[in-house]
Amino acid sequence: MKKIKILTIILLIILITMVAFWGIYTQVQNRMENQVKDYSYAMDLAGSRVVRLIVSDENETTVKDSEGNVVEDSENLTDDEIAEKGYTKEETPYNSDEVKTVDNYKKSKEIIEKRFNELGISNYITKLDEETGDIIVEVTENENTDSIVSNLATTGKFEIVDSQTQEVLMDNNDIKLANVMYGADSSSATSSGTMVYLNIEFTKEGKSKLEEISTNYTKTTEDTNTTSEDANTTDENATTDETSDDTSSDDTTEKTITMKIDGEEIMTTSFDEPIRTGRLQLSIGSATTDTDTLNGYINQASNMAVVLDTGNMPVRYKVDTNEFIESDITQNELQIASYVMLGIVGLALIVLIIRYKLLGLLGAFSYVGLMSILLLVIRYANVVLSMEGIFGIAIVLILNYIFVNKFLNKLKDNRKDLSKEEVIKANKETYKEFFIRIIPVIIMVIAFSFVQWTPISSFGMAMIWGIALIALYNVIFTNNLLKLKAKKD
Amino acid sequence: MKNISKKAKILSIILAIIIIAGIIVIATKGFNFDLKYEKSQKVELYIEQDFNISDIKTITDEVMPGKQVIIQKVEVFEDSVSITAKEITDEEKSNLITKINEKYGTELSSDSTETEDIPHTRARDIVKPYAWPFAIATIIILAYMAIRYHKLGSIKIIAKTIGINIVAQATLISVIAITRIPFGRLTIPMVLAIYLLTMVGLTARFEKRLEENKTENKESK
Repeated sequence: MKKIKILTIILLIILITMVAFWGIYTQVQNRMENQVKDYSYAMDLAGSRVVRLIVSDENETTVKDSEGNVVEDSENLTDDEIAEKGYTKEETPYNSDEVKTVDNYKKSKEIIEKRFNELGISNYITKLDEETGDIIVEVTENENTDSIVSNLATTGKFEIVDSQTQEVLMDNNDIKLANVMYGADSSSATSSGTMVYLNIEFTKEGKSKLEEISTNYTKTTEDTNTTSEDANTTDENATTDETSDDTSSDDTTEKTITMKIDGEEIMTTSFDEPIRTGRLQLSIGSATTDTDTLNGYINQASNMAVVLDTGNMPVRYKVDTNEFIESDITQNELQIASYVMLGIVGLALIVLIIRYKLLGLLGAFSYVGLMSILLLVIRYANVVLSMEGIFGIAIVLILNYIFVNKFLNKLKDNRKDLSKEEVIKANKETYKEFFIRIIPVIIMVIAFSFVQWTPISSFGMAMIWGIALIALYNVIFTNNLLKLKAKKD
Repeated sequence: MKNISKKAKILSIILAIIIIAGIIVIATKGFNFDLKYEKSQKVELYIEQDFNISDIKTITDEVMPGKQVIIQKVEVFEDSVSITAKEITDEEKSNLITKINEKYGTELSSDSTETEDIPHTRARDIVKPYAWPFAIATIIILAYMAIRYHKLGSIKIIAKTIGINIVAQATLISVIAITRIPFGRLTIPMVLAIYLLTMVGLTARFEKRLEENKTENKESK
């Protein structure tokens, strides 16, 4: 009976090992498909989006009238019309020679990194060419990458200007922070969705300026395009699931302000009443049930908030290349590395068998079972594997070897006449000794598993699952296998 | 006891030699930085078809013998290749393109292929994300060690833990420098692995000392 039980456990281990290493294949549309989940790889193993930002050599075109005032809406004027009206066209580079300094390049790189951190991007690499100012960014490829990349070259220059005179009333220096807020959509009596807002908080000085502006730039008649204190929000950009709300009637307004980011008009509006809180909440959009649409608004608002919150880049950049580049570590090289790892494990298990004979053989079987379950757990627990994660797995295998070796060592002297009590006692002692010794390791991997940075969390998560498995698996498999081997009860 | 101290002496001498040799190598030759993090040059070629990395490797080995090269597939269709090396001369680029045209029947020209400069990655940028988690975890570990082994002298334990870890890491860095293992993406995982295994070794040693102290106390009573 004992032999059958031992054989059953060993067969179970072999089965798990086969599933972990080869998978379960079923026929799907005339081809065999592995039903076992694949590993998730981090940027260093899966490849990344590589974006090259180059210092913009573009010019800003301004059209001025005969008195030197900037002409509004000059984009639509042809050269002939400009000449006809006596206007002059001026081209000034966005990046003057004074701007193109190493310090400014470094500051721009720092701002990009700050934006990444605020957006919660868990893995990126930035490189700066101090001579040319070029910045190369490598970022994880996922569903948010395009949105992140689209904001990379945004300078983040924020301005509130008088719509008529283009006088700058407020700029980045007046912003204290920007973030995203959500609330019930109260734009109409029937709406019941969630509204996404971009919340901008101003500094003390900015608060006074905003109060003054909101007092001066008021509207005289009914207007759908309004900004008011906190809950009353601007609706110009608001869109719902179905339609775009485009019912503004600016002509009724006496004085308006224009909000610009990087020179692009975000909105033109006036105020119902003076804003004394020092906060502006701009509606980005609302959705009722469509989470994808809502997530889109959240992403849009987050990107804008991060751009405003991190300040404007001193240098204007443009995206030169933007492409996905596979990792230079190929699947073939990963396979070779795993074979080497398996070879070392095999050798270590042979040592175990030579040292402890039959007990060693059972210990080796049990060890292989843990390794196989760990590889399955890592896949199903969605642990993102990076190079650090692979090292984490290797350390778990070393720790489990120490555990099994310690356990067997305690039984070595009585291996020919082993009793269950001795196995239970040895098991208890091994657990106590082993886990007391690895408390520092446990502290470190717990701390690491909470870190957002993928390579660190990969290491932490791989190890935390491994250590949990050592604790659980050995009490179920190794302990029972050796208890079954024991002759006496 | 004599035997142990002799062993410890030999080990200390070996470690000292490794560390000194490492310092000399770092001072004279520096680290052999991983090409991925070094200042380098890159050419991207549109091959218009699926290809094997090994075939491109054969070509780069012929054109740039002895040079460390990174070959990567570009974009989802995997029909472009990115070749990175520390330096790609015009002649090398031209030969590379000729050979790729011969192999894949493409009509790439050297003139229309740009060589991009890739700046280096600062070591501090590589290390920065690890600094805080590592420091916080180490402080908690040291606090735990000081409490758990207070009978062995908290200050002594903390000093020993820090000291032995420094020696272990210095040895690792020296070995990396001496053996010319590329300093880059494998370095931090190796540092972490050595750190944790050193910690396991240290706690095992301190536990043993604690046990010995207990036995001695019992015997003296």
